[in-house]
Amino acid sequence: MSKLDSLSRRQFVAGFGGTLAAVAGLGLVGCGGSGNSESGSDAASVSGTVNCSGATSFQKLVESAATKFEDAYPDVTVAITGGGSGQGLSDVKDGKAQIGRSDVFAEEKLEAADAAKLTDNTVAVVGMGPIVNSSVDVDGLTTEQLKGIFTGAITDWSEVGGTAGKIQVIERKAGSGTRATFEAAVLAGEKAPDTFAPVAEEDSSGTVVEKIQATEGSISYLAFSYFDDTKFKALKVDGVEPTAENVCSGDFNIWAYEHMYTAADADEATQAFIDFMLSDEVQGSLVEEEGFIPVSDMKVSKDADGKVSSK
Amino acid sequence: MASITTSKAASVESGGLGVDLDAHARRIGKQDRVATGILTVIVAFVLFLLGAIVAFILVKGLGKALAPGFLTTAPTAAENPGISSELFDSFYMLIITLLISVPISLGAAIFLVEYAPDNWVTKAASTAIETLSSLPSIVVGMFGSLFFVVTLGWGISILAGAMALTMFNIPILVRVIQRALEDVPRSQRDAGLAMGLTRWETTLHVLLPAAMPAIVTGVVISAGRVFGEAAALIFTSGSAAVNINFASLNLASPRNPWNIFRPAETLAVHIWKLKMEPSPGNDEIVWGTAAVLIICVLLFNVLARVLGKFLAKKMTSE
Amino acid sequence: MAKQLLPKRRLENVGLGLTGACVALVAVIVVTLIVMVAQQGLSAFFVDGIDFGAFITGTSWVPSDGKYGALPLIVTSFGVMVLSTLFTLPVALGSAIFVVEVRPGFGRKVFQPLVELLVGIPSVVYGLIGLTVVNAAMRAVFGDAAGTGAGILSGAIVLAVMILPTVTTLSIDALAAVPNQYREGSYALGCTRWQTVWHVVLKSALPSLMTAVILGMTRAFGETLAVQMVIGGVEKIMPAGLLSPAATLTTALTSGFANATTGSVQYHALWALGLLLMGMSLFFILIIHLIGSKGAKDRG
Repeated sequence: MSKLDSLSRRQFVAGFGGTLAAVAGLGLVGCGGSGNSESGSDAASVSGTVNCSGATSFQKLVESAATKFEDAYPDVTVAITGGGSGQGLSDVKDGKAQIGRSDVFAEEKLEAADAAKLTDNTVAVVGMGPIVNSSVDVDGLTTEQLKGIFTGAITDWSEVGGTAGKIQVIERKAGSGTRATFEAAVLAGEKAPDTFAPVAEEDSSGTVVEKIQATEGSISYLAFSYFDDTKFKALKVDGVEPTAENVCSGDFNIWAYEHMYTAADADEATQAFIDFMLSDEVQGSLVEEEGFIPVSDMKVSKDADGKVSSK
Repeated sequence: MASITTSKAASVESGGLGVDLDAHARRIGKQDRVATGILTVIVAFVLFLLGAIVAFILVKGLGKALAPGFLTTAPTAAENPGISSELFDSFYMLIITLLISVPISLGAAIFLVEYAPDNWVTKAASTAIETLSSLPSIVVGMFGSLFFVVTLGWGISILAGAMALTMFNIPILVRVIQRALEDVPRSQRDAGLAMGLTRWETTLHVLLPAAMPAIVTGVVISAGRVFGEAAALIFTSGSAAVNINFASLNLASPRNPWNIFRPAETLAVHIWKLKMEPSPGNDEIVWGTAAVLIICVLLFNVLARVLGKFLAKKMTSE
Repeated sequence: MAKQLLPKRRLENVGLGLTGACVALVAVIVVTLIVMVAQQGLSAFFVDGIDFGAFITGTSWVPSDGKYGALPLIVTSFGVMVLSTLFTLPVALGSAIFVVEVRPGFGRKVFQPLVELLVGIPSVVYGLIGLTVVNAAMRAVFGDAAGTGAGILSGAIVLAVMILPTVTTLSIDALAAVPNQYREGSYALGCTRWQTVWHVVLKSALPSLMTAVILGMTRAFGETLAVQMVIGGVEKIMPAGLLSPAATLTTALTSGFANATTGSVQYHALWALGLLLMGMSLFFILIIHLIGSKGAKDRG
């Protein structure tokens, strides 16, 4: 902190001539991911307001990062609002916000022409896995079994090796990023029949946690960042533990990127914040603290069509 | 009136036509006692329900609400996050709302009570106000998100939120003020007019002071209701607390607490958001916030009554 | 005299202008709202080409698949509204009778202020309690059949508690407005209190009581967050029974807006739901007016 202060004072003494250099410096940080002290030296010359709206799933991560960012860049304000991925993409498309957070690719929500105008910044990876009520005596399921359960073909725990009891399927709302990711990986293109009704379609991970915990025999899915052994049980899929390591290695395939979309011609302050999100200060500590996976750790990558390839 | 008494008389007569008048009297007496009993049970149930709800929230949340620092720590704090920003935002948004809605409601109510000609204009106006009172808060929120946020270009902001709240508050306030003005004794009004005052002067100098205790009570009670609204605010003032900086002197900065064009998160929205996106320790914060919210609403109610009584006393002693 | 009259008249005009402007402002906002919601909502039918008939009668609401059948939402909205009113009405009416006819002093000093407190409790807090208490109670009573405990019945119970104070307060007003001579007349004929209440007071307060009930229903119909937390949110299929998880118009709106992008078909379809909601509340207002004018006519 004191280092930053002295640096910015030096910058102040040097005058405002360094704006160009500052932009160049920031670009360096963004590409190379080198140390933070460099960006700190440019901080005083960057000013403005960055509106960031959208997905709530990694809002807390962005909020924590923004607090740190504002300490380093006293003249930049990051105003964070929620609203969901759709809102975030609309806002950045319509120019109402500089950054739109989304947990799905823009191509899935916007017209191709609109999506092409946006710059995709993937700031983290989020793993997701099936979870069950603590009373369920099954520790793992195969993808095939999961598919059966979430399409209504399997309705009793005894069919998958557990004690007999009704399987209570709790879904997220159609259109939620978590559900899209889970279905893409588990249903593999198939659709649950119209007649299959889950016992609940929740709007948020919060209510899923609440209901999984309270409902015997229930099954749902959540991002790793919400996992909590004291409240419910996470299942292995095809024998693979739902852990960050397995996601990185590509063994566990239910995961998605957390995107922060910007307009192609993002202003300086916006770019500075995106760069900060990608810097070691956030990627090295905050991302994991909040339960996400740094993109740089991934040995595989996914494209907008869901195709996975190794890096 | 006439028809009711005759039907009444008829029913008594038909009872009286029976063989045993005493039995009839006993029967209706018993009926009466049973009915009173049932009514008492119902009232007891309502009071129990109220007590249970308040007690439940306080038991679950009071511990957290009274925990040191909970009310004064920012929600963004890494350790023991509190609700200081939400608390400030809630009150600030309430004040802005009242600053907008009280004058408008006062004007509208005076118009409807004192001036309103008995024609379609008046009828349309009161229907408009009535419509406002019946609109679902989500519809007001949607409208706000389009009109105040986009069309007027205010963005997700305190002002947009306050306008949405104003739309709820106006019908409540207009009704309260209208009633308060109508309750002022006719003689006071006549005295004012007889002294050669215009209707406007009579309203300003006679009616309003006389109605003030009731108006103040109404305003404070309505404040309590506005305080807990969430659905309309999610779309208009946002669902994320701003990292408020009290040292900021730049009114245009979104971190300046007094900037009405910055996003804000009220206590009620905070509860909703935390419930939707859980993280460790959230449950405690949720119930703590709920307890704070309930206590605030209780205080509003008590304040309303105390203030009303105090003003009434001051008025009559003068 | 004439000299003095002029400023007086001007003063009067100032007053009229100021207060009239306030009323006009409110009216303008209301009209803007109606026009805007209608414009956005109707574009779902006229611009995006959703068939209105299919919208109203379709039984599956899955916007991400392009299925815009709002019937499950409409049925659920009406279902929870009617159920919650049925739950609330006896309790609200009973307490109103007790407060007005049996113990007026207790009513004015203790009961009414307490009931008004109930109005002040924010709807998210009702939702929280519903999520923890009502859903758990449903599971305890109905077991597996209740699923997570979320469903129409849970929603109706939470709503019933929420509209209780509104209906109670308005019923108290309605009963208190019955002239005392009516009661005295009845007592003078030797009627018991119960007979008086049943045959005289309730009958003459009927129009105002109906208004009270309809206002309660309006509130139940438009309530959002509390219902959203307890009703289960299943939009894709018609609710099969009282325990079925379902979604109302309002809950489909809140969850839909998070996932819709501006200008898309889905976005307009959501506004069409908003238009439906608005239409219903205007309809309720119309009914209240009809009751009011009929009541006035009956009274002569």
